[in-house]
Amino acid sequence: MNFSDSIQKIDRRYIYIILAIVVILPLIFPLGLKTFTTPPVRNLYKTIDAAAGKPNKAVFMDFAQSPSTLPELYPMDIAILRHCFLRNIKVFTISYYPQGAAIIQMAIAEVKEEFPNIRQDVDYCNFGYKAWALRLPITLGMGDNISEAIETNGAGLRLDNLPIMKDIKNYDNIQICVEISGAAPGYIYITYARARFGVNVGIGVTAVSAADFYPYLQTGQLVGILGGLKGAAEYEELVETFAQNGLPYSAEYAENPTLKEEQYDLSKVPYKFKKARIGMDSQAIAHLLIILFIILGNIGYFLDRKNEKKKFIK
Amino acid sequence: MMETIGTWLAVFLTLSMFSFLYKDNPFYKFAEHLFVGASMGYAIPYTYYNVFIPYTYNPIFLRHDYILIIPVIIGIGYWFRFSQKLSWISRYPIAFGMGIVGMGVPMSIHAQVLVQMRTMMLPLTSINLILIFIGSVSILLYFFFSKAHTGLYGKFTKIGIWFMMIGFGASFGYTVMARISLLIGRIQFLLSDWLGIIK
Repeated sequence: MNFSDSIQKIDRRYIYIILAIVVILPLIFPLGLKTFTTPPVRNLYKTIDAAAGKPNKAVFMDFAQSPSTLPELYPMDIAILRHCFLRNIKVFTISYYPQGAAIIQMAIAEVKEEFPNIRQDVDYCNFGYKAWALRLPITLGMGDNISEAIETNGAGLRLDNLPIMKDIKNYDNIQICVEISGAAPGYIYITYARARFGVNVGIGVTAVSAADFYPYLQTGQLVGILGGLKGAAEYEELVETFAQNGLPYSAEYAENPTLKEEQYDLSKVPYKFKKARIGMDSQAIAHLLIILFIILGNIGYFLDRKNEKKKFIK
Repeated sequence: MMETIGTWLAVFLTLSMFSFLYKDNPFYKFAEHLFVGASMGYAIPYTYYNVFIPYTYNPIFLRHDYILIIPVIIGIGYWFRFSQKLSWISRYPIAFGMGIVGMGVPMSIHAQVLVQMRTMMLPLTSINLILIFIGSVSILLYFFFSKAHTGLYGKFTKIGIWFMMIGFGASFGYTVMARISLLIGRIQFLLSDWLGIIK
């Protein structure tokens, strides 16, 4: 077997082993690669941040998730919830997926460990699981009255009676609807909440479908996008740089990771709040490896083609 | 104790899933079937207690809100899909569902067509807008099949192909990232929750 054949017929199990090694090693021995933030993530952060300390504004989070998308979406959930709790922003959570309701509880419990003063139904409210069929009536009904559209929270308590609803009535009081989803995030909010009531919409999405949503960003129908693990890592970075340090958002610092390095030590950040950033070292090396494999495959292909041409000429 | 058992069980199932990379085997099949079964097993009672009880049983039987019987009957109509003789009944709830889809058409056209077109037609003041304009027009022309792709027209549609290739490349790059992210997530679980190597 010549060289071109051998590089095109590598047993895929060797490739898996090499890939596993390049993913595992950077997790054990972090490389500390910088996380650069991008405008879609910065815009989402800024929009949420604008509700800081306002009792008549809340962030609405839709968890359209199941366990299969947790590695990419869960760090986003944690980062946004943490941002809201750090900045004293009211949060509403909902899921139209049975599994999503459990993920909400898990995420809130995990973030709340750092915030003993955050109170349920005062600082945040979990609407829990609602049937998929209610999605449209709830999305439209929230334009008039959230308490009437959703009626009860996850524990079955009427929203009218909850302290968090005191200054909140309808979409006028929703700073942004953020849907974090493994499927087609944001469509219902773009189509109904944004088009009809002018609500800001943001999304967190698995990397597979991230490219599909950039046209909505271009038109301003989406305020921002968190695309896959990279988007989550960027959001974590912004939360760590500004919200955690009690600093207002600054474009100069957000765009310059060298300045940010002086503000915090990543090794002191709890693991759960840097999950995405830790993963990005492996992500970067794995991408380099895949590029290398693609180049090798192409070299093999062109060498083969050249050899075939030679045979044909003979 | 329960947490430890849960972690070990998750480790076993994770490794069973990974074993497929070597070749198809009973461990993989067991984990795969268990995943599907557990998802359904979780969803059915959860839906029963969180949807059927509060939105159907309680309003009708406890609050005597009998008007809800109408949507319940429409919903039950779906079950007739399983009967060869009575499957025609299921067309009524489907028709009802299609009506709801129809209700969303004007809003969808606004959000997903008109706004997109308006943005494309903005004054071409930046390089991004110029690229979007050229890309959109050349791709649309590529899919206009009543004219042969020859001459100047053919050259312009080739630009459309290039734009599409760049789009597919971006999607592919993101797809690779998604798959690697899933692997990273599982490896993080093994190294952190199970072995405690990363903290």
